[in-house]
Amino acid sequence: MLNHREKRRYVAIMYDENSIYRPFQLHEKIGIRFKELFGVFQMQFAMLKLYDSEFGNVMIVGCKLKYLDYFLVSLVLGEPSLTVVSISGTLKRLRKNVSKMGFRNIKNNRS
Amino acid sequence: MSNLLGIDMIGIDLGNSTNKSPQGNVILRMDKKYPIADYFPYLIVSDNIRSLDSKTDLFLIDPFQGKDTLKRKAKRGLGIEISIAPARKLDPLLVARWLKELKSIYIFCQSYDCQFILSSGATSINEMISPRSFESILNIVGITPRTYWRKISEWLYAKTKARWQYVKS
Repeated sequence: MLNHREKRRYVAIMYDENSIYRPFQLHEKIGIRFKELFGVFQMQFAMLKLYDSEFGNVMIVGCKLKYLDYFLVSLVLGEPSLTVVSISGTLKRLRKNVSKMGFRNIKNNRS
Repeated sequence: MSNLLGIDMIGIDLGNSTNKSPQGNVILRMDKKYPIADYFPYLIVSDNIRSLDSKTDLFLIDPFQGKDTLKRKAKRGLGIEISIAPARKLDPLLVARWLKELKSIYIFCQSYDCQFILSSGATSINEMISPRSFESILNIVGITPRTYWRKISEWLYAKTKARWQYVKS
């Protein structure tokens, strides 16, 4: 059997700085909306995962490429409003892209 | 922000302040022609079927409302806009219906030679939607994003070109 690894996409999502929700709560909310719109099976197969972002009001969520459209629709057609700022195939590249955008880097500010 | 998201052009509501001076690739959305329209690209937008006339460029439609009245008033080249913002609050069943209606409006636009436009309906930066997210919605309802972007660009180009030729003459 071939050792085939499914492609993933990493999505940088900007949320409202004054939002009452923390990134892990937003991640849960996205998952709930995904489940409501596309079903439990699709949501499980999409393997949504929250990653450490390092940037101010930007969170990073990973998802299987095959389910990216479902994931983005769940983001757009859900509350609170979230904006996709960048998408990449690797976390490293995504972080590089976001850092170029000039979002406040929390880790750097603390040090 | 639009540059950050990779959006070439955004439309902003003129609202009550007619002394705005837009910068960059901005199209003003107004309910009637104001003097500022002589200097900046604009679109006359209406959300009321009764006020829909030959000067209207863009008609904001609620996907759940019937299309019968629109069938009588729709003219060639009219932009029919659907805003995503109200759909955020809908329950899943209504979202599914909203998506179905989106497709039927797209088919309606094709048969009546109108321009189908999907907009974010954003009132703040946080509500803005990236082009890739628009494409996901289009993919879900079975509209080819490439065709959509090409047609909307052509429509917008035709509108602004006609305007500037009129202003220069």
